[in-house]
Amino acid sequence: MEQLLTPKKLTTKIGLALAVLAAVMFVCSLIGTETVSLKAVFTGPGTQAAPNPDFEIMGFRLSRIILAGLVGAALACAGVVFQVLLRNPLADPYILGISSGAGLGAIIAVISGFNWTLWGRSPIAVFAFAGALGTVWLVWFIGRLTGKFHVTGLLLAGVVVNAFFSALMMFLTSIAKSDQVYATIFWLMGNLTEGDFLVLWIGAGCVIGGIVALFYIGPQLNALSFGADDARSMGVNVARTRTIAFGIAAGITAVAVSLSGLIGFVGLVVPHGVRLVFGPDHRQLIPLSGITGAIFLVIADTVARIIVAPAQLPVGVVTAIVGGPFFLILLVKYSKKVSWLK
Amino acid sequence: MNKWWWLLLIISCWMAAGVTMFGSRQGLENSGAPLPDRADRIVSLAPNITEILFAIGLGDKITGVTLDSDYPPDAAEKPKVGTFWQPDIEAVVAARPDLVITLGFEQQKNLAERLRRIGYNSLTVNIEKVSDFFAAIEKIGIATGRQRQANELISRIRTKLRQLASIVGAGPKVRVLWVVQREPLRVAGRDTFVNEMIELAGGENAIGSTVHKYPPIGSEQVIACNANVIIESAMGREDIENQRDRALQHWSKFKFLPAVANRRVFVIPGDTVSRLGPRLYEGTETIARCLKPHLFEN
Repeated sequence: MEQLLTPKKLTTKIGLALAVLAAVMFVCSLIGTETVSLKAVFTGPGTQAAPNPDFEIMGFRLSRIILAGLVGAALACAGVVFQVLLRNPLADPYILGISSGAGLGAIIAVISGFNWTLWGRSPIAVFAFAGALGTVWLVWFIGRLTGKFHVTGLLLAGVVVNAFFSALMMFLTSIAKSDQVYATIFWLMGNLTEGDFLVLWIGAGCVIGGIVALFYIGPQLNALSFGADDARSMGVNVARTRTIAFGIAAGITAVAVSLSGLIGFVGLVVPHGVRLVFGPDHRQLIPLSGITGAIFLVIADTVARIIVAPAQLPVGVVTAIVGGPFFLILLVKYSKKVSWLK
Repeated sequence: MNKWWWLLLIISCWMAAGVTMFGSRQGLENSGAPLPDRADRIVSLAPNITEILFAIGLGDKITGVTLDSDYPPDAAEKPKVGTFWQPDIEAVVAARPDLVITLGFEQQKNLAERLRRIGYNSLTVNIEKVSDFFAAIEKIGIATGRQRQANELISRIRTKLRQLASIVGAGPKVRVLWVVQREPLRVAGRDTFVNEMIELAGGENAIGSTVHKYPPIGSEQVIACNANVIIESAMGREDIENQRDRALQHWSKFKFLPAVANRRVFVIPGDTVSRLGPRLYEGTETIARCLKPHLFEN
């Protein structure tokens, strides 16, 4: 990077990105299978006898857009962290088995046919959350046994646990009823449905709080990207930074997964895209990835909502189809200029 | 360390604010409104529910159906609210329903729950077995103020099934292999409504009880099941005769199976046998004609 990152520059960039995010969210809220008049929305919810459908549709749409934004931000930031912690460009939030753990939890919830809700979330979400965190803990624990934060050990533990849980998932899918199978398949493909406002609120607290905390440790993450030994020589408490970063990234991924199922590609590609364009400094990489991830997923979800209307595509399909070519263009265009890629 | 405490404090305040703002509404919202005595704008989220509604004379009250609701032909003209597996909640609300009827599986239950939370009436019915189906007709009849028509429909179907039973009842049971999918081979197990239809039509499932509802089976079991008849339900819009030729060809490798040796492999129209709806009798009769054709020659 030719210029130093000053707080003023950072604030300007984040402010601009937030403005783009707000504009995208506004435009996307006007797009949908039903046409909604803004004027009618502002007349309020209407009465019990004559509810205002415009208001309700807008409520659904907005909460879904906010959810997409939160999930996109969480996955993108978690992706940044896993890529630097594992020092592996192929790392994404699901690399250490979160996806299969969450998937297994979801399938168990569907098959057991529980019929309760916890704070407005279905058992699927609760089980997926528990499965995700449980798996991360297991992988972390096994990784520790192989040596104190031995990256290869951690990665291998992740791959094996992933394969094991995937096999369990396939077994359960094979004995499930067909409607249960479909219920899980759609969940596994990523499925954004608007939730209760309380859930959105709490989810927002977890995700935004997590991102701010990751932003705090941005300088340490910068040091870590040179390797543990170099970071230690720069005075960074490596073990502590890793534990904090790992815990927060896993936590916000688990929140995202329990809100939306498995949405692939965002956590892999957004961090790389932002790194290609803005450079690898984590102080801006983390907030900008979060905001870009949110923008990306809001747009992808809007496409998923309308492109085959009145049916809907799983958003995971759109993220890869839209994001893949876009990322390749970025890769070709910027890789000549960026030295760290070589 | 100061900034960490600030962050923790702000997050805690945020959570507390959320719980006080939205938490208290929870219990109230989940109760939902009571079902009305009659419904004038009904959204149906499954093709067999749509068929039930038409059969009890509520066709003109339907304001939204799923994409796969194609029977009776009038149903295909109704506004669409997404697919069976992924209903579009915006389209459901835009249809301004006073009653939304859904099936009991995850996606639909979830949609019904969300609609109930914002004050829409929804009715969830489970239609997995024949007895569920009759119970569902009754439930829908009550919720829409059409008990009489619903009871008439039930007794009409029951009477026809009884008549069919008296035709096919006597004589040995025909062993049926019901093929859901050829590659990899999956068949209908005992715990399905197809199994019930086979039994109503005077047959029995050639496959014994299994862990799976629709078990995948290997060639050995195909030979061991000793089926007298193989039935596949037709796929897509292609001509049934062509499909039957291909099926005969496919199964010809099992020469020793009675069904193949006697060329008793059938392909039958999918709708009436893959959807548990008011055409239950028609589907069962089609199966009975495959199993015991001599009883229907007159």
